[in-house]
Amino acid sequence: MSSVKGYFGKLLYIDLSSGKIEKRTIPEEDLTKFIGGRGLGAKILWDNLKKPGIDPLSPENPIIFTTGPFSGFPVPSASRTCVVTKSPLTSPVRSTYPHASTITYSNIGGFFGPELRFAGYDGIVITGKANSLCYIVIDDERVEIRDAKKFKGMRTDAFDKKILEELKDRRYKTVYIGPAGENLVRYACIIHTSARAAGRGGVGCVMGSKNLKAIAVKGSSQPNVANHKKFLTALEKARLTLQNSPSTKYWRNYGTAGYIVKSSDQGTETVRNFREGTFPEAYKIGAEAARRDVWVRDIACLYCPLACKKSGRTKGKYGGIVHDGPEYETGVMLGTNLLISDMAGLLKIIYNVDDLGIDAISVGAVIGYLMEAYEKGMINKKFLDGIDLKWGSVDATLKIIDKIAYRDGVGELASKGVKALSQKIGQGSEKFAIHVKGTELAAHNIQGNPPRALCYATANRGGCHLNGDNAQAQNFRAMIDSTGVCLFPAMDNSYEEPIISMLSAITGIEYDRAQFLKAGERVFNLEKLFNYREGFRREDDWLPDRFFEDAFTIGPKKGAVLDRAKFRDMLNQYYKERGWDTETTKPSESKIKELGLAKII
Amino acid sequence: MKENNFTRRDFLKLYGAGATLLLANKFGIHSIAWADPKKKSLKMVLVDYSKCTGCRTCEAVCSAYNNPVKINGENLLGLGNPVYSRIRVHSFNPDVDVPNVCNMCPDAPCVKACPVEPEPKTGRKAIYRDEKTQTIQTDLSRCIACGSCAKACAEQRTGVIELDPKTGKPRPICNLCGGDPQCVKHCPFNALSLVEVKTNRKFYGQSPKKIATELAKKWYGVSDLGGLK
Repeated sequence: MSSVKGYFGKLLYIDLSSGKIEKRTIPEEDLTKFIGGRGLGAKILWDNLKKPGIDPLSPENPIIFTTGPFSGFPVPSASRTCVVTKSPLTSPVRSTYPHASTITYSNIGGFFGPELRFAGYDGIVITGKANSLCYIVIDDERVEIRDAKKFKGMRTDAFDKKILEELKDRRYKTVYIGPAGENLVRYACIIHTSARAAGRGGVGCVMGSKNLKAIAVKGSSQPNVANHKKFLTALEKARLTLQNSPSTKYWRNYGTAGYIVKSSDQGTETVRNFREGTFPEAYKIGAEAARRDVWVRDIACLYCPLACKKSGRTKGKYGGIVHDGPEYETGVMLGTNLLISDMAGLLKIIYNVDDLGIDAISVGAVIGYLMEAYEKGMINKKFLDGIDLKWGSVDATLKIIDKIAYRDGVGELASKGVKALSQKIGQGSEKFAIHVKGTELAAHNIQGNPPRALCYATANRGGCHLNGDNAQAQNFRAMIDSTGVCLFPAMDNSYEEPIISMLSAITGIEYDRAQFLKAGERVFNLEKLFNYREGFRREDDWLPDRFFEDAFTIGPKKGAVLDRAKFRDMLNQYYKERGWDTETTKPSESKIKELGLAKII
Repeated sequence: MKENNFTRRDFLKLYGAGATLLLANKFGIHSIAWADPKKKSLKMVLVDYSKCTGCRTCEAVCSAYNNPVKINGENLLGLGNPVYSRIRVHSFNPDVDVPNVCNMCPDAPCVKACPVEPEPKTGRKAIYRDEKTQTIQTDLSRCIACGSCAKACAEQRTGVIELDPKTGKPRPICNLCGGDPQCVKHCPFNALSLVEVKTNRKFYGQSPKKIATELAKKWYGVSDLGGLK
């Protein structure tokens, strides 16, 4: 057990090239400084990749699954696992390293991370590449690498069922990739419970590059906490806070899908490849329609009173799909962004995307870009292998998704992301190739929302909507992602105090809000330093021209467009606040020292 | 051997007909309690499956309450390791969650299956119905780790009895937390309640798999439930 309370202080190191399995102690300082989850993952990545420019799909690049100090304790909504690796999707405008890319940290709910802690580990670090498709089984101390050849090509929904039959124990919690991950689609994701996804940045692609189909884990222990009584008191308060919060009720009723209509109504929705912020038909695929026609169950992650996952079954032409959704991101990126308003069709698309193991956000942006390029005559039907990729077409969307997952025909190029596509297609299409640093933007459109524009531009994993709209929010969220708790309940201000007191009680390190934010700032800066080392500079914190040129033509924010000069000023302010050089974005020596990062880098 | 031919269907039929005394004779001394109106009635934790979200908060609070720790001389709730919970949520694909907890069967097949001689003084086998709480409890010092109780429960009822992989003896079974079940109290979705045992309730005494199969059919129109057979 770790000398730092609240942890085992133990990482499982697995090298798939040699088959070597080791249990390594985590340095005490890494736990106190980087907490867990996203922070600890960033530190492990930094330690493992000693130089920039390493090919993210090479055996050297580790894929890291981390838990936080909350994981495995009955903290409400402490269900998250963080997957950290060097992204195979991102790239800088220019760099001296051909394989330069950002860090990525993809966060997944459900049950996996807590179960990993029950097994006695704070995280798993996987390096190397197996000779053939394999999977890892962890049962407390027992760790095995097993042959997975018979699962080759298996889609995630079928695999989710099959793997439990194979393991003969329902208590195993599993994460796995689908065909897209096996086929190295750059934005392949990792799936859990056949629907929850560690979606962003291509973590499933890195898993596929290691010939790793899945990880299954079950366990029976827990770490200690520093101050048991204080923890119980804080826990009780945490439970009551969420139980009594109006937001909890909202999440339960509508999930994230509640925002589909609301966001459209306020002109902040991603519509028609980010051309508009409002979709008059949004109500057809919103939460109320879903509750009426599709949803039958509210489903929660471990110890979560929010239950934002909604499952059901569709009827009609595209009916018969049993799955969850729409959520805000899936419903918008694959719905309003493509002008699709057929609920059953949308859910079939979402199901296929999850089943194949593709990030719904990135693939939505890729298809939106292709639809626009096709409409504008920059590409023709031949380029699209005969697919008539018109706005709003469910059939064409389903076809193109298959092409991407199997990297067939047009799917070969499209599997590399919107940046790669636009570089090939050219003709000024870069203007509406919606990405930052190669990561496609998400379901929040920004012509009328400058703070969210800053959020996308400055996210360390590229175009991320969860990054936070200002430096302080970013530090807070980096810390939330490091504790193992979900961001959703933490969006409610009343949950902040219980989170901070639970963290103090578990670790025995007294945090106040300022210290909590400081730890988040340290995490954010280490990620930034990783990217800076790879060659990312200020020019990479920039948005596609669309946001500065194409004002919304409909909706309450009609006429809204970003202003380049104002946005530049916003960024200047942001870098100053961060203590980074406004020319290069390099974190200053004094900032590095202040955060205790000098020795590390 | 006549008892062995007495099926659950017969039992339900008889129970429905109110033939309580006859049953009391059949099931022996340990089930007389519920049959006698002067004695306490049997209670159990009932699940409303339509409300359960599979969050497993019940597991954590059960484990925390039933595995207290002593710190500085003070008895405190434990940290809620779900492995030691007496209620277990079984999750399926598609999304169906079935919390499984002792149904407090009046005929207690687990007790009947126990081959350990009753203790002369108390009449208790190694697994027995506790007089005070009217719940099924175990005496691990007398348990011979044969697994008969778990097998009987799995074959005839819910399969809630789990054997500790290290000792082969049953893990503790729901004790209703002294009348105030923590799972009921803390379920964020009010999916659990403390009710009188009624064996004619829908899903009474059925395995999670069986319950989930029926629910999946009802909710999703799907009969092929993934995972384990």
